[in-house]
Amino acid sequence: MSRLPGMLLAAALLAAAAPAAAQFNLNKLLDAAKNVSKATTEIGEPEEIAIGGDLSARLLGAAPLVPNDDLQRYVNRVGRWLASQTERPNLPWAFGVLDAPEVNAFAAPGGYVFVTRGLVARMRSESELAGVLSHEIVHVLKKHHLHAIQKSAQMELANTAISTFSRQDQNTPLREKLLSAGSEVFARGLDKSDELEADRLGVVIAARGGYDAYGLPAVLQTLQAMNPADSSLALMFKTHPAPAERLDALEKMQSLLDAYAAQPQLAARFAAAGR
Amino acid sequence: MRAALALLLLLPALAFGRPATAVRATEIRSAPNFDSAALARLAEGQRLEALERDRGWTRVRDERGNEGWVRMFLLRYADEGTAQPGDSGIMAALNAARTGSSGRQVTTGVRGLDAQQLTSAKPNPAELKKMQGYGASADAAAKFAAQGPLTAQKVAYPKEGG
Repeated sequence: MSRLPGMLLAAALLAAAAPAAAQFNLNKLLDAAKNVSKATTEIGEPEEIAIGGDLSARLLGAAPLVPNDDLQRYVNRVGRWLASQTERPNLPWAFGVLDAPEVNAFAAPGGYVFVTRGLVARMRSESELAGVLSHEIVHVLKKHHLHAIQKSAQMELANTAISTFSRQDQNTPLREKLLSAGSEVFARGLDKSDELEADRLGVVIAARGGYDAYGLPAVLQTLQAMNPADSSLALMFKTHPAPAERLDALEKMQSLLDAYAAQPQLAARFAAAGR
Repeated sequence: MRAALALLLLLPALAFGRPATAVRATEIRSAPNFDSAALARLAEGQRLEALERDRGWTRVRDERGNEGWVRMFLLRYADEGTAQPGDSGIMAALNAARTGSSGRQVTTGVRGLDAQQLTSAKPNPAELKKMQGYGASADAAAKFAAQGPLTAQKVAYPKEGG
């Protein structure tokens, strides 16, 4: 992680304990300094994980976990196995089924992945679950949310916050700012190109895990068959390309999908999970 | 909750036994592979009934009663305009339990995971801790995969556009 000039770091530390007026001065200082120092900071992994934890805690405030230990453990085993097939196997991966009727799935920086009860209820096999989890895993691998948060939380200010992250208390304005930027990304959605990339690489991760690679396309077809006016789909349809468009994009990968289509779907293990 | 989830899983598979259309002209084949015999021609936009999926293929029945297999990517499903999950039956009951009303709000922020709730919910750190507690080790996950049985494969990421 590249470093901002010491002067800015000191200013940020000061601001962490300072009232709103000093905060305002810090913003002005940073605005002036960014033209000089142009810090292109890549957020470090510990900070990435901390931001993801904050966002996940808020998501769990909107909908708690389904109170079913066996189901939660099952989803964690499937998810962790898939994560092991990727370039970031050692993140503190954690997976959860949210107790919400909406049809959706979420990822937060640092290895947090969520799928709603409403979506799980519409799946027919472990390979379909694997397809959805793999899509979300790609968002983490490629830092799609992290980059969107950085963009919208004013790069320079966020970077300074992050340099001093661990020294700040839980409720500093800067940390709040990152959290609210992250929630906005959940509500507004990622770039379409990020979603299509998550589909494209997600089917590969599911295939690497030994699953029928058609799990994700099958889920997309289930979504495509649903009434788009169904209120449980509202946020997912607002934040993702239409299922038909995603299927059209995946159709270009048919030869890869077919090469791994004979792998297990594990419908029986899925049906038995959490009962 | 457990009983409700179990009931949900018993709902008929949504994508199957449903009206669909072919997005391009193709053929109905006797088996889910390209080596099988072509049983009938399908025109673009032709209506079908989709019955089941096998890998990249879907078993269909056309209006003349021909039954066979077409590529899954060639099918799009029509909205039947009938009661939809989420707005009826068990899903509606679950929604009502959460909102104390009909569960039919489309845009207002009463339900759990709409845009407004996502940006205004109070953090629940205890639930996050619980979630982390469910985490599986790489070893435990590998053991579980082997029971599948699942076998890891080396597969390269595609270039953009597949």
